[in-house]
Amino acid sequence: MNEQALIQDAQAGNLDAFNALVLHYQDSVFNTALRILGDDDLAADVTQEAFLSAFRSIASFRGGSFKAWLMRTVTNACYDELRRQKRRPTVPLEPENDDGEEIDSPRWLADPDMTPEQKAEADEMEHAIQHCLDNLPVEFKSVVVMADLQGMDYSEVAIAVRVPLGTIKSRLARARLRLRECLQGFAELLPASFRLEEGTSLG
Amino acid sequence: MNRRDLELLSSDSARLESRLASDPGLRAVLDDLRETRSLLRRLPARKAPRNFTLTRKMVEKNPPMPRAYPAFRLVTALATLLLFFTVGLNALAPQLASPAPLYGMGGGGGADPEVFSAQAPATEPAAATEAPAAEAPAEILPLPTEMPPAEDSERIAETPAPKNGIDEQPAGRAGKPAPLVPVTWQALLAGIVVIGALLMLLLRQSAISRWRR
Repeated sequence: MNEQALIQDAQAGNLDAFNALVLHYQDSVFNTALRILGDDDLAADVTQEAFLSAFRSIASFRGGSFKAWLMRTVTNACYDELRRQKRRPTVPLEPENDDGEEIDSPRWLADPDMTPEQKAEADEMEHAIQHCLDNLPVEFKSVVVMADLQGMDYSEVAIAVRVPLGTIKSRLARARLRLRECLQGFAELLPASFRLEEGTSLG
Repeated sequence: MNRRDLELLSSDSARLESRLASDPGLRAVLDDLRETRSLLRRLPARKAPRNFTLTRKMVEKNPPMPRAYPAFRLVTALATLLLFFTVGLNALAPQLASPAPLYGMGGGGGADPEVFSAQAPATEPAAATEAPAAEAPAEILPLPTEMPPAEDSERIAETPAPKNGIDEQPAGRAGKPAPLVPVTWQALLAGIVVIGALLMLLLRQSAISRWRR
C-alpha cells in the first residue's frame, strides 16, 4: 500500500483512496476507541464518526505520521463521547444473570481457536484490564492505550495527543503505576507468570 | 530494558542502574511495571466488528473542502469581528470624547455657551485674588500662588484666552466628533468580509459540484 499516494488522492477528494486507508487502519482505530470507551457499540460509532471527520478534514493533514493524525481524530472523538456521557449519563442494557453479573459475551464463546476454559480466562483477564483502564483519568488512558496497547512510538503519541514528549513519558509512568496497583486486586484472574508482586512500592 | 525504556531513562541511566542494583524494592517495582506493560500487550486486539468504509451518501452533505477554505474562513471571521468592533468603538466615541464637567457635576452641560463664556472670567479672578491674601508660602501651595496677582486679574478678564478655550468646546459639540477608526478602514474590512464570504461560497459550490460529478 502506497500510503502517501492514497493520502494525496484522498486529499483531492478520492473516496476510494480514503477507503483503502480506512481498511488499513480500522482495526487500530476501533481498538483505541474500544479501550478508551470500554464499550463495543460506542467504540464502533466513534470509529465511524472519526473516519468521517478525518475525511472531511484530510486537507489539513500536512504530512508526518498519518497514524498519529488519525489517532488524534479518534481520541478527540472519544473525549467528545465521554463528555457527552458525563452530561447525559446512561445505563447500559447488558444482559445479567440472577446474581447481577454480566453474562459472557457470545463473541468469546464463538472464538474457534480457544477451549472454553481459555475463553473464560481470557475474558476475565480482559475484563480486569479494561476495568483498570476505565478507572484511569482519560488523559492517562489515551496515552497508555496508544503506547502500550497499540505499540505506537512515544513521539507519535505526543503528536496524537498534542502534548510534549516529556509529558507523555510522565503520564505513561503514572498510568502504569496506577494500573499495577489496580491489577494487584485481580491477581487470581491473571496468568501465573503475570501475577504481580504485592507490597512492593516506591516509598 | 528495551529501546523505549532506555529512551525514557537516557538522561541518567547509569545512576538508575546502580540504584536498581542496590535497591531490591525498586527493582521489584520496575519488574512489576514491565509485567504490567506485558499484560496490557496481551490484551487481544479485536477485529473491527464491520467495515468502516465511507459511502458517497455519508459524505455528500459535507464534501472535503479545498486547502484554501479554512484560511478564507479564518480571515473572513477575523474581518467580521474587527468590523463589529470598530463600529462599536465609533458608536461609543462621542461618549468617550465628551469632557466630564459639561455633562457631569455642576450642571454646566445645559448652559448656553455665551452665558458660560460671560461667567467664566468673573469666577477666575476671584479665585486668583484670594490666593495672595492668604499669604501662603509658595512651597506649600504652589498652584494657587502661581495664579496672577490681583492687579493682573482685570487683564485676564480682557484677554481672549478663556474664550478660545470655550470656543473649541461648542465646535466639538455642535458638529459630529471624528470617528476613532476611520471610515476607510471600516470600508476595507467590510470589503474583506464580503469578498471572503463570496469566495467561500464559490469554493463550497465548486467542491460540491466536483464531488457530485
